[in-house]
Amino acid sequence: MKSNNGIKFLTPAVSPGNHCPMRIASVNVEKIKDLSSLLVGMPECTTYSRLFNPKPEGRHGELHWLYVLDAHEVVFGCRDGLIDALRKMDKAGAKAILMIVTCVPELIGEDIQAIINEVQPELSTRVTFVMLGQFKNISYPPGSWKTMEALGTLMDGKATASNRVNVLGRAPEEEHIPMPSLLPTLTRRGLALRYLAPGSSLDDLQSAPDAALNLVVSPFMQALAARMEQEYGVPYIALHTLYDVESIDKAYTALAEYFGFSWDNTFKKERQEALSLQSQAKERLGGLRYVFCPRIDIPLPLAVYLTGLGMEPLLLHLEEYYPEDRGYAKELIDMGHNPWICRMVNAQADLPILKKLAPDLCFGYLPEPNKTITCVPDLFDFYGQVGYARTSHLLKRILDVLSEMNATGKGGTAHGSASI
Amino acid sequence: MGLHRFKPLPSGRMGILWTLAAIRDAALVEFGCMGHMLYSGVTLKRAGVHNACKLYSTHIDETDIALGGTERLNHTIDNVVKRDQPRVIFLLPSSIPEVIGTDLPALCAELQPEYPGVRLLPFGYGGFNITHHRGVQEALQLLVKTLPADVKRTQEPTFNIIGSCADLFRFQADAMELVRIMEGTFGIKPLCVMTSDTSITEIENMGGAHINLVIRREGEPAAKHLRQRFGTPYLLGRPYGIDGTTRWLEQIAQIAGLTPDSAFLKEQREISWQQLASVMPSFSHIIRAHPEEAVLSLGGHADVVRGILTFGCGELSLAKGTCWCDCPDMTSEDIPYFSEDEWTRAVQEHKKGYLMASGEALEWAGRNAELQISNPDIKWRLHPYEPPFTGFRGAVHLVNLWINENIED
Repeated sequence: MKSNNGIKFLTPAVSPGNHCPMRIASVNVEKIKDLSSLLVGMPECTTYSRLFNPKPEGRHGELHWLYVLDAHEVVFGCRDGLIDALRKMDKAGAKAILMIVTCVPELIGEDIQAIINEVQPELSTRVTFVMLGQFKNISYPPGSWKTMEALGTLMDGKATASNRVNVLGRAPEEEHIPMPSLLPTLTRRGLALRYLAPGSSLDDLQSAPDAALNLVVSPFMQALAARMEQEYGVPYIALHTLYDVESIDKAYTALAEYFGFSWDNTFKKERQEALSLQSQAKERLGGLRYVFCPRIDIPLPLAVYLTGLGMEPLLLHLEEYYPEDRGYAKELIDMGHNPWICRMVNAQADLPILKKLAPDLCFGYLPEPNKTITCVPDLFDFYGQVGYARTSHLLKRILDVLSEMNATGKGGTAHGSASI
Repeated sequence: MGLHRFKPLPSGRMGILWTLAAIRDAALVEFGCMGHMLYSGVTLKRAGVHNACKLYSTHIDETDIALGGTERLNHTIDNVVKRDQPRVIFLLPSSIPEVIGTDLPALCAELQPEYPGVRLLPFGYGGFNITHHRGVQEALQLLVKTLPADVKRTQEPTFNIIGSCADLFRFQADAMELVRIMEGTFGIKPLCVMTSDTSITEIENMGGAHINLVIRREGEPAAKHLRQRFGTPYLLGRPYGIDGTTRWLEQIAQIAGLTPDSAFLKEQREISWQQLASVMPSFSHIIRAHPEEAVLSLGGHADVVRGILTFGCGELSLAKGTCWCDCPDMTSEDIPYFSEDEWTRAVQEHKKGYLMASGEALEWAGRNAELQISNPDIKWRLHPYEPPFTGFRGAVHLVNLWINENIED
C-alpha cells in the first residue's frame, strides 16, 4: 500500500460509511473567525453541508454561501458563475474566502486556480480553495488537513519574531482537551505561543509566518507546517506522532536547544511515570494481538509504538494514509510485521470478521457492546495532547482494560490465540 | 442554480431517495460516493424515518470513474442480498454516475438472473435539470408500475394514500389524521400509505383498494396508472379546515360509493367548532378591527399552501398575503414559485399577520418557528405524534397556532 487508494474496504456494502471530507471542511471553516466560504457542488452536497454549517452568515459577518451547478454548467463548466459569485461575496464584505470544491466540479475538471488567478486582482478579499471530491478523498481527514493547508495561501510573509511559536492543532480556547504540560512551560520560558486550529481567527492564521518555530500537535496540521517551512522557512517539530518516551526526550531536547535553554528537571516526574508505565506495558502487552477499528486519529504511529511494546498487529483500519505515513509503514515492516490494512465502512458486517480474527485487544469503535472482543474504545479524546502525559494516559487506559478483563476471567491471553 | 445563501432546490435524485427510503422489506443501494447516503440517512432520521428501507452505498473512486468500473455495485448487491434478504433492492445513481453515464437499468438487467428471489429496481431521473418534486413523482409512478400484483378488490372497502412522503413537513402526522377520519367516517382501513408507512407487500396489494387518495399532485400519474390497470377511482386533494375536510369526505363517498357515518362526521365537526369557540370572538375582532394583522402569508409545497390558504381565507375570512410555492413546475398565478431572492424579500417585507413557511426561512428571519409548514426543516422530528395540519384536528391546530401568534404579538 503506497497511498489512500491502496486501502480496500473490509466488506463491500457501505453502511453508513465514512464521513465526507466536505463535512469536516464545513465544520472547520465555520469556526475560523472572519473566514468566509463558498461551497461548490450539486444540490446534495450544498444541502447536506447545512447540517454542519447551518447558517449563511456567521457571528462576525462571515459569509458561508453555496454555489450549485446547473445542468448546463455540469457540461460546460461553471467558470462565469463562480467569478460572479466571488464578486458578490467580495461586495458583501467577505474578508477572505475558502472555496470548498466537491465531487462534480472536481470531476469535470474545473480549473479553480485559473478562476482565482483571473478574478483575484479585482477583489479586495483574498481567495483560496480546496479540492475535496470524495471520489479522490475517501474519508474525512482531507477535509481537515487539506483545508488547513489551503489556508497557507492566505498567509503573509513577515519578519520572524524570535520568541514566537505557533502551536498547530490546538485552538486558543480548548475547554475539553487538557493542556499538555509542555505548552505552559514554554510560556514560562518567555516564548509567545499562538494557537492555530479551527477556532483561531483569520488574523492569527495570516500572521503565522512570523513564528520562529511551529509545534505540530495534530495530524491535521502537519501539511500546513510542511507548507510553511517550504514557503516561509518556518521549521517545525511534530509532537503528535511521538508516544515512546525516548522519542519524546529527543524532541523536547531539540526544542530546548533550538531556543538555547535546557529543561533541567522540568518534566522529570511525568517522564518517570511514563517510563514506569511503559515498562509495565511491555510486560503485560507483550505477545497480545490487536486490531484497529475506526476512530483512531494517528493509527500508524500508534501501531508502531504498540508493536514496539511487543504487541502483534493483525488488522489496521486506516481512515487516511498521510504523506508522512510511509516512514511508519516501513518501520512496522522492519519490526517484522505486515498487518492487513483496511477501511471499515459497515460496522455490522465487519464485526463477524473481527470476531473470527479473535484479537486479544481491539482499539477504537466497535458497533455494539461486544463481550467477545476486549476493546479500548474511542481514542479521539487524546486529540491535541502530546508528550509524556499522553503516553501515560494511553498506557493507563490500556492496562486498566486489561486488568478489568483479567478480573472477569475473560479474553486476553487466557484464551490463547486463534489463527487467522 | 448559481449562488445560494440557503439550501437550494433539492435534486430529483433526492426526491426519489426520500420517497423510497420509508418502504419496509426493501434495501436501497446508491451507486456513488458514500457521503451522499450517509447524510441522506441522517436527514431521514431527522425527519422521523426509522426502521424502514435499509440504506447502502457502493462508494466510487477515481479508478471506477476512469475505467467505468461497476464491480462495487455487483459486490454490494451480492452482500446485501446475502445479509438482509430484502424483497426488493432499489438502485439509485448519484451525481457522479449521472455525469459519466452509468447505465443502471442495463446493469440491473444483467444481474437480475443471479438473484431470482430479489427484485432489482433501478430508478432514473437523476439528471441535473430535474427537481425533487419530479423525482417524487417518478418514484411513485415507477413503484405502482412495477410492484403491484394482480389482486382483486378487497371484499370490505379499503383505500390507499398516495404521496405521503418524507420530503413534506409533518408528513406522518397528516397521514395519520387522514387514516383516522377515513376509519371513522367510512369504517375502512388503508391497504397502503405510500410511502410513509408501507412495505413491499402492501404496495403489491394496493390494487385491491376501492379508492386512491392522492394527497399531492406528484401522485396523480401513479393514481392514473392504477385506475387504468385496476379501475380504482382516485381523488386528488389535501383536506384542510372543517368544511374543507367535510367536502373531501363527501367527494370520497361519491366517488367510491361509500356511505359516510353521519354521526361521526357531525361529532367531529362539533368537537372542532367547540374547541375553536373560545377564540373565535378574538379572531373575529382581529379580522374586523385590525385587518392588517389578519393577513395570511404562506410558503411551501403548492398543495399545502393552497389547502391552508383556502381554509384560512375561505372559512375564517383571513386576507391573503404573499403566498408562494417551492417548485418552479408548480407555479401558478395566485401561488407563484419564488426563488431564494424572492422569498427572502417576501419574508422580510412581511411585517404583520401570519407568516407560515419553512423552518429555515422562519429561523433566519427571527419569526415564530411554530408556524413552520414546509421544509427545509432545522430540527429533529423523532416521533410522528405532532398535531397535523390536515383534517379536523389540523383545522383546530392551525387556529391554535394563529391565535397564539396574536398573543405573542
